[in-house]
Amino acid sequence: MTTASKERVIKYAGMMAIGLLMVCCFEIAMRATDLNVPATVAAGSGLSTPTSGSGSATLYVYGPGTAIKRKVELGQPIQLSADELQHAGRYVISLDDNRATFFVTAGPVQSIAFLARPSRVPADTPNVITGTAFVFDKYQNLVLQPQPVKFELNVNGQTVTRTETTKNGVAFAKLDSSKKEGPAQFVASSGPASVRRIVQEVASDPCSIRMTVVRDKNGILARTDPIHDCAGNPVPDGTIVTFTSTDAHGKSTVDARIKRGIAEAQLPLSNDATISVASGVVAGNEIQWRGGQ
Amino acid sequence: MKIVLRFAFMLAVAFAIVFSIYNVIVLAAAPPSLAINIEHAGPRQMEDTTQRALARDYAAAWQAMTQALDQNRADLLGASFIGTADDKLTATIHEQQKSGLHQHIVDRGHTIGAVFYSPEGSAIELHDTAHIELQLMDGSRVVHSEDATVHYVALLTAAENSWKVRVFEAVPAF
Repeated sequence: MTTASKERVIKYAGMMAIGLLMVCCFEIAMRATDLNVPATVAAGSGLSTPTSGSGSATLYVYGPGTAIKRKVELGQPIQLSADELQHAGRYVISLDDNRATFFVTAGPVQSIAFLARPSRVPADTPNVITGTAFVFDKYQNLVLQPQPVKFELNVNGQTVTRTETTKNGVAFAKLDSSKKEGPAQFVASSGPASVRRIVQEVASDPCSIRMTVVRDKNGILARTDPIHDCAGNPVPDGTIVTFTSTDAHGKSTVDARIKRGIAEAQLPLSNDATISVASGVVAGNEIQWRGGQ
Repeated sequence: MKIVLRFAFMLAVAFAIVFSIYNVIVLAAAPPSLAINIEHAGPRQMEDTTQRALARDYAAAWQAMTQALDQNRADLLGASFIGTADDKLTATIHEQQKSGLHQHIVDRGHTIGAVFYSPEGSAIELHDTAHIELQLMDGSRVVHSEDATVHYVALLTAAENSWKVRVFEAVPAF
């Protein structure tokens, strides 16, 4: 091969290489896609993002509750439906060599998870009822934007209301129990959502205990007057009342439950005894028994 | 000389096998590292035993989740997840199964702040900054790979003898 022929071959080869490179660049340019997705999307609102280029490509979307793989035509917008973007969280979208991440955030409050404790509380006690409310949107995503939550406690027409603002999706309140016993309706509400719980308010410890004693055929019968707490609520049946008789022979103790508001106990017969009564930390009156006098 | 070489070769093979088994069984099963700050947990004060149980159960939850998303096994979730968190992860796995996809997550550790501990002690909310290596896979092909720092809000509720994740959401920032 002459030198001129060699030069011609090299020239043609170079031109072919440049041509091939240009074709590749054109192909890449035609297929190139830019993914312009917003940083955040509201749950259940769907998403449409344009693509550039031509031909088809595989779209991947990974996110909470979602894993999508489908063919899309470049140049046509990518559509992600409201159903595909229901769950709050981080999504990764991939199309050819382009990737983007975005977040789906919760929508408006639609439901509440409400924890009310305890289910039974003594009446007229401060800060004894607690309510904790978690706020969710219609897709059960935790709503992290601050939201007002109203806590309302209602017993026999007496209502206590407090409004708290959620922080990190949760609000809580501590409320006093009311003076009167009875079933309290404890309601937490935010926007259209409202949840009700029942808290049973019962009489607290007895305020005072007064008893009388009489002799009967089996010994000494000790009986209390109706027992109330300091707000006038009858102490619930079943509460233990302890009667104690002390004489020369020793001490006799009888634990009795309140029945229909009063408690009574049969104590051994004695001619000279000191009889006392108590319930919990509350002591009642003391009687010196002198053989029935 | 031959015997020595043969012995050395067998020793090397045995060492390689033991090392591989160690990697598969011990390292794969190792829970992620967690640093939990309970200073801002309230209104209830968190007891030491609760903090320890929380760290144990949340680490177990991450371990279960990474395995479940990698192997597409929703049955691995039940011990650590409940409610909507369980529902959403299960849905993810079912969608992955349909499309032949899975996720490989290498957990590089967590910086966690407890931000709420309910007055009656039945719910704890965490802010978890997780450092992860994420590979989104289509079969054996890597679709996307990244080292990411992701912020998660997790709500855990007390179950019979453990804490279970009830809400688990990634957020742009705390």
